[in-house]
Amino acid sequence: MAVRVHLSSNLRGPTGGLAELEAEGATVGALIDDLDRRYPGLGDALRAGVSVVIDGLLIAHPEYEPLADGAQVYFVPQTAGGSSHGWVCCS
Amino acid sequence: MTVTEPKPRYKYVGTRPVRHDGLEKVTGRARFAADLNMSGQLHGIVVRSPHAHARITSIDTSQAEAMPGVKAVITGDDFPAVEPGHRQYDMCVNVIARDKVFYEGHAVAAVAASTRDQAQAAAAAVKVEYEVLPAVLTIDQALAQDAPVLHAHMMTAGANPPAEEPSNISNITRFSSGTDMDAGFAEADLVIEREFTTQPVHQGYIEPHACVADTGQDGHTTIWCSSQGHFNVRSSTATLLGWENTRIRVIPAEIGGGFGGKTTVYLEPLAVALSAKAGRPVKMVMTRDEVFRATGPAPGTKLRIKLGVQSDGSLVAGDAYLIYTNGAYAGPGGLLGAMTVFESYKIEHFNIEALDVVINTARSAAYRAPAAPLTAFAMETMLDEIATELGIDAMELRLKNAVTEGDPSTMGFPFARIGFVECLEAVRGHPHFTAPLGPNQGRGLAAGYWFNIGESSSATVNLNEDGTATVVTGSPDIGGSRASMALMAAEELGIDPHDIRPVVGDTEAVGFTDTTEGSRATFATGMAVVEACRKMVAELRGRAAKMMGADVDDVDWVDGQAVYTGSDGTKDPLSVAAICAKAKRTGGPLTATGSLEAHGAGPGFAVHLCDVEVDQETGVVRVVRYTASQDAGTAIHPSYVEGQIQGGVAQGVGWALNEEYIYDSDGVMENPSFLDYRVPVASDLPMIDAIIVEVPNPAHPYGVRGVGETGIVPPIPAVANAIYNATGCRIRDLPMSPIRVLEAITANGGSNGS
Amino acid sequence: MSRVHVTCTINGDPAEFLCDGGQTLLDALRDEAGLTGAKEGCGTGDCGACSIVMDGRLLCSCLVLAPEAEGTTISTVEGMASGDDLHPLQQCFLEGAALQCGVCTPGFLVAAKALLDRNPDPTETEIRYGLAGNLCRCTGYDKIVRAVQTAAQTINETTES
Repeated sequence: MAVRVHLSSNLRGPTGGLAELEAEGATVGALIDDLDRRYPGLGDALRAGVSVVIDGLLIAHPEYEPLADGAQVYFVPQTAGGSSHGWVCCS
Repeated sequence: MTVTEPKPRYKYVGTRPVRHDGLEKVTGRARFAADLNMSGQLHGIVVRSPHAHARITSIDTSQAEAMPGVKAVITGDDFPAVEPGHRQYDMCVNVIARDKVFYEGHAVAAVAASTRDQAQAAAAAVKVEYEVLPAVLTIDQALAQDAPVLHAHMMTAGANPPAEEPSNISNITRFSSGTDMDAGFAEADLVIEREFTTQPVHQGYIEPHACVADTGQDGHTTIWCSSQGHFNVRSSTATLLGWENTRIRVIPAEIGGGFGGKTTVYLEPLAVALSAKAGRPVKMVMTRDEVFRATGPAPGTKLRIKLGVQSDGSLVAGDAYLIYTNGAYAGPGGLLGAMTVFESYKIEHFNIEALDVVINTARSAAYRAPAAPLTAFAMETMLDEIATELGIDAMELRLKNAVTEGDPSTMGFPFARIGFVECLEAVRGHPHFTAPLGPNQGRGLAAGYWFNIGESSSATVNLNEDGTATVVTGSPDIGGSRASMALMAAEELGIDPHDIRPVVGDTEAVGFTDTTEGSRATFATGMAVVEACRKMVAELRGRAAKMMGADVDDVDWVDGQAVYTGSDGTKDPLSVAAICAKAKRTGGPLTATGSLEAHGAGPGFAVHLCDVEVDQETGVVRVVRYTASQDAGTAIHPSYVEGQIQGGVAQGVGWALNEEYIYDSDGVMENPSFLDYRVPVASDLPMIDAIIVEVPNPAHPYGVRGVGETGIVPPIPAVANAIYNATGCRIRDLPMSPIRVLEAITANGGSNGS
Repeated sequence: MSRVHVTCTINGDPAEFLCDGGQTLLDALRDEAGLTGAKEGCGTGDCGACSIVMDGRLLCSCLVLAPEAEGTTISTVEGMASGDDLHPLQQCFLEGAALQCGVCTPGFLVAAKALLDRNPDPTETEIRYGLAGNLCRCTGYDKIVRAVQTAAQTINETTES
């Protein structure tokens, strides 16, 4: 699956500042593997804890999320809950 | 209420039934953690550090152990060693110090005795020798060239180039538009740059932390506690003790407020360790003094923001340098500040650098939309300055720049359907917006944003023999979420909400569920309830088909009844009760579960309007009118949505006007009581008019957005802007206490307001 | 230290308990008399979660020594309802969603009843100052004040009819 990858600006170190690129993967995990082959070090950065936004849907733990051909995948800092890794919130 | 988009007509969702746990709470029967007592229980007391920063050279517990009634004394040595790099290292060494203490109030030992008095006496007899180290108490001290380094292992994450020496900066976050900032600011007709400082504040839940732990001879323990997340209590306690999760059952007591401060553990692992050592149940209850000194403040900050705007009010460039201190350990304050500072507005050129810094104060915990109220304080007061400078209406300036669907967020992704503009318009259309002001009064407008989260939730729906239902979830109810669960289940099943009993299940009674945080309970756990109910309806149709002698495809579920839609004559509809009555003959008990990782948490926006009256002679600021709009997506139980908004406003007003941690020069907290740490009381506030805006979240079956947090984001700038409009004074340091307001008025040569 | 024997009336019933001389009345009510409706939010008289009425006076029971209860008449939240009939304040708190976490609720109900007992028709300002000794961190007080207003109206209508 060829998808369009968008990196939030804090994740662009390994790409030399490149914000958007094409890559391939049937799942987000496979996509990260592909990105790591293209930009060594990017995989570690993405596996360290990122969420993705696909079709407007925020997915906090996306490793096995399937990807459609032509999908737009936005990698963003992890917006997961905070109890176990820092903190995020509450009412 | 403002309904901004057409939505389905619901029978129960959106109604306001009496909450299911209400009766117990108005009669005094509800059991909070401190209300629980076990047969033969001991009382545990924590020995805390009097120093802000010190090396523990020795701990002598022998005298304490010999005292009357004492059954167990523990220190850090009673827990498995933990090394930096461990995923929960900070939590582990925060719960009980090992070789060093990092703040005044840091736990160093704990004692269990037959009575609380005995335990207190024994705690005082634990001899701890300290080598006192220089304390780092402010952001400036932490960043000084010769600053003592708190943690020898702290290499700044996100540093570029990578950090080679340890420092007090735990993390650097950078976001940028990737464009030429100089060119961006060159496009601006007006550039302003401002600095802000804020102090740590406490969540201020009325119920102090409390728990009871009972460890049996089989090595299994049961914990009853007040927590926003009992599954997290289980895993954190297990981690600290080096136990398997299965040895720990956590039963959630009613929780007396949390606001983020009860998303971590403090007492529970100590109570379990004491209970294991003593072979008796151990109850631990913090005093208010302990709550202030040792738990959850929200970060203090130093913020510097530069904005460039064109003469028509279009924001074109923004540069933010944010420093958050998370107390003694690493925390995400700066990261979250970076994720929220420019998120509400379209700014083509932006650059954000955020530092997370450690100092010798209590480890920060989450507090309702963490970090966002402070970035909003800076941004929203600067927008007001810009509006004044350019002669543009403050509301129009925000409407002009507000993000809408499709606009890119700071992180790059395009926003899905959001309700920011609708919230602005709701306030603009409210009578408050044009109401006249009295003498010495001023009006302030401010907006706020919080992203909300999803995470894991589980729910079980059990239909009872009489056709009523029990809905078990794993989300502690801190503000009425049980009623929301019942309403969504009622809508799905088609039965009355009061024929449903919503229950918060313990760690062995329901599937894993993440903590009630990030405004996620009604959103994510609600999705699990809906999933379980939909499975149940499928099952009910199947059972009804058997009873009717029909094909399941010819049975629909309509308004709480199985209805035959086939062509083989007519058949009487079957109610839930009728199907339940025959459950034994149609396949057995009716039970269904829903467990999911909730995707698509929808961002929440809020817009507040605040009128203040300023006493020009004393500097006392009084909030005299308040209106708050917020996008709830869909309000499941509108009364409790309003309650979340109103509660957020009250906390934000306290943060704006009064609340702050005050330390002496040694890092000892000087105001650890509600007398000296003043939270708003009823006479400090007016009615708070909550406007629920409903722009449904497309990712939720009922369109829910989390509503718990966003309401605390706008109040600080709303109050600050109102003070400016009343006095002509811009105050950029919190709290805006009477002395600070008076100094500003005096420096300004008296009032020029009204 | 020998224990002190206290005889008093709690919620209309004769009661007795043993307490320590230095024990607070709040602790004695909770630990000796088994009435956990009053809560400890601060232990310093600043939050009102432990509000009770003793001989007609609204008090923070954390600031009263248990032996001082000897011979007194005490009302707590547990005594507000008459059997199954909730006090109008309790009913209005429920219907008006005037509680979220609920830990301050017993104190507010006791304080609000004390207010209405001496001022049956309070203004909003009088309610706000009458309840200023009770902290609530969840509600922003809006729905609490409204519930007290509604309850006052209900009580007055019942009294008039």
